[in-house]
Amino acid sequence: MAANKQQGSYFGLFLAGATVLCAGFAFYDSGTGKALLAIGALGVIGSMFGYLGIKPLEGKTALKDNPLGMKLIGAAVCLLGWLLTLAGLHITDSTGGRIVFALLGIGVSFVGMAFILPAAFNKHAVWKGESGAGERTGIATGKPSMEQLR
Amino acid sequence: MKKILQTSCLSLCILGLVLSLGIVANAQTPAPAAPAAAAPAAAPLPAADSELKDAAGKAPSTADLAKGDPGGTLTGTISDVPAADSKAGVTLPDVGNQVGQNKIAVNFVWTLITGFLVMFMQAGFAMVESGLCRVKNANHTYMMNFFVYTCGLFAYWILGFAIQMGGAAGNGNLGGLQPLASEHAVTLFGKTWGLFGQTGYFLSGHTYDVGVMVIFLFEMVFMDTALTIVTGACAERWKFATFAVSSVIMGAITYPIYGNWAWGAGWLSQLGSNLGLGKGYCDFAGSGVVHAVGGMTALAVSLIIGARIGKFNRDGSSNPILGHDISAVLIGCFILAFGWFGFNPGSTLGASAAGNLRIGTIAVDTMLAGCTGTLGAILYMWAFKGKPDASMSGNGLLAGLVAITAPSGFVSSFGAAVIGLVAGLLVCVSCAFVENFMKVDDPVGAISVHGTNGLWGVLSIGLFADGTSNYGGAWNGVTGSVTGLFYGGGASQLAAQLVGISTLMGFVFTLSFVINLGLEFFMGQRVSVETELAGLDLPEMGQLGYPEFVFRPEPVYSGD
Repeated sequence: MAANKQQGSYFGLFLAGATVLCAGFAFYDSGTGKALLAIGALGVIGSMFGYLGIKPLEGKTALKDNPLGMKLIGAAVCLLGWLLTLAGLHITDSTGGRIVFALLGIGVSFVGMAFILPAAFNKHAVWKGESGAGERTGIATGKPSMEQLR
Repeated sequence: MKKILQTSCLSLCILGLVLSLGIVANAQTPAPAAPAAAAPAAAPLPAADSELKDAAGKAPSTADLAKGDPGGTLTGTISDVPAADSKAGVTLPDVGNQVGQNKIAVNFVWTLITGFLVMFMQAGFAMVESGLCRVKNANHTYMMNFFVYTCGLFAYWILGFAIQMGGAAGNGNLGGLQPLASEHAVTLFGKTWGLFGQTGYFLSGHTYDVGVMVIFLFEMVFMDTALTIVTGACAERWKFATFAVSSVIMGAITYPIYGNWAWGAGWLSQLGSNLGLGKGYCDFAGSGVVHAVGGMTALAVSLIIGARIGKFNRDGSSNPILGHDISAVLIGCFILAFGWFGFNPGSTLGASAAGNLRIGTIAVDTMLAGCTGTLGAILYMWAFKGKPDASMSGNGLLAGLVAITAPSGFVSSFGAAVIGLVAGLLVCVSCAFVENFMKVDDPVGAISVHGTNGLWGVLSIGLFADGTSNYGGAWNGVTGSVTGLFYGGGASQLAAQLVGISTLMGFVFTLSFVINLGLEFFMGQRVSVETELAGLDLPEMGQLGYPEFVFRPEPVYSGD
């Protein structure tokens, strides 16, 4: 199942919910604002659960389950790099020291985004052909298929 | 080559014509009288008043003007200055108010027209991205580029602008923007750090203001540029519904947060005033705020969404998946290069006062970096791959432009040329790294063009800023000019830039990743196998981009 009416309806609900939610932020000091915030949040959450309900109907994708823990570790490592840089701003007063901490932080974040996360998402990638799918489609043979030539 | 030169000249002529017309038209339009409360309190000097009366007496009469003014010597005189008291005639305060209003008017017109140019870049992005995709996905790719404008604008209006610019009061070029004076800040280690703005939701209340409208339009088109970067990296497999929701969230939250930290009185811009790191984090036109934020988000979503069917072989080697229209790609690149004259020179937010005459230097820097970026990419591909690859040449141009976006206001033409050349080489290396090492499928090279070179642009300020720019004598509230390591400024500016880079890689990437991982759970990011193989045009959009094209048979997919 591709794009369909339910998707459109839930997107409408999402937009309406987000709009009311933001109106709640704008008038947060008033009682009306708080009520709008709650109504808007309900709309946004409702749209998400609506999408969740129709997700199984939308067909199989060319993705396989990969370890969620490893994905979260990758994201945490990226965040850790930033926190390291921030810590450096407080730990040392010297420009050189702060540069060292920043470079260290950038390096740690780079490890997360360029090593850990790709490894997590490609651990059971379809193109690795564990089920032989790639071989049967001619995709994993190294020769360009009709699909690739288009 | 001749055609390219002609096209470039034509683009510049059109730009010059449009700007001249806009500024001249505005200058010749009599402005309404300023409110009495705004008039300076000082009494007019009698001598000056008599001179003004004398000048008014010599001004061309209505009868003179009725004869026409082919030489333009009679139009636009003291007669066009509105007098607060018509009996007293034009006084010195009247002239002062008119001068002030003319300054703001010039800056408004400049900022609006450059904003219009940036808006037109959406067309360039649409052509580049769609041209680099297969014909069966053309409609879907064009539609993502079309609809992202709507999603982004709406999200920015209801929330994003308030977060980003809600505390950005104080810009004298646009009249002070005083309604935007509410930044939520925290005090840490004895220093106050801005986190997000709190006013400007729906542009309502006090933000119903002429200056605020100008800055909203300009910042909105920048935000939309960041959003459209992601659609390129995720093309040919991104579910339209998820793309729409993801774009709304990015326009409302992800982009504005970093935008506030860099441009809206946030903590990155305060690194100079609070910690003495140069002039604080500097990003003149958005290599970091716009392009790196887009690039980081593109990488996050690309990781989640996975590679297109057929991109990688079992041994991990990759297959080229050619785009369907290289002419659209290269014309799109030219449109983007044209729009970049709005992006960078427009970021002065004015053409009058506060060092804004540097707009010519900024425009030339922009051109040069695009030129050397193209050269770098062509030379790399020609020398190492044997052919001056067209799509990578286009990416080289864009990489140069992306990289010069942040430093364009602070570097010389030589610095711009070097920055662009490095960007052109870097985009080729980065594309190979992303595809062959990370195994991330990026159909248009957006991660490398905007992400990698956005970071390079941010870094380059700390190296190449030459200390000659003077935008009102200070930047980010720190007196002096932005100066990098190579021009005797020491390493402190470089340190501030590195903190910005770390924030982009550590915070922005992670935030985008977590948001889109959540959307993957609730909605699913990717279309079904059947949809992907058939092409997204019919299943997702209900209409083929090119209905008269004949499709060749598809391979059978039988994965479990």
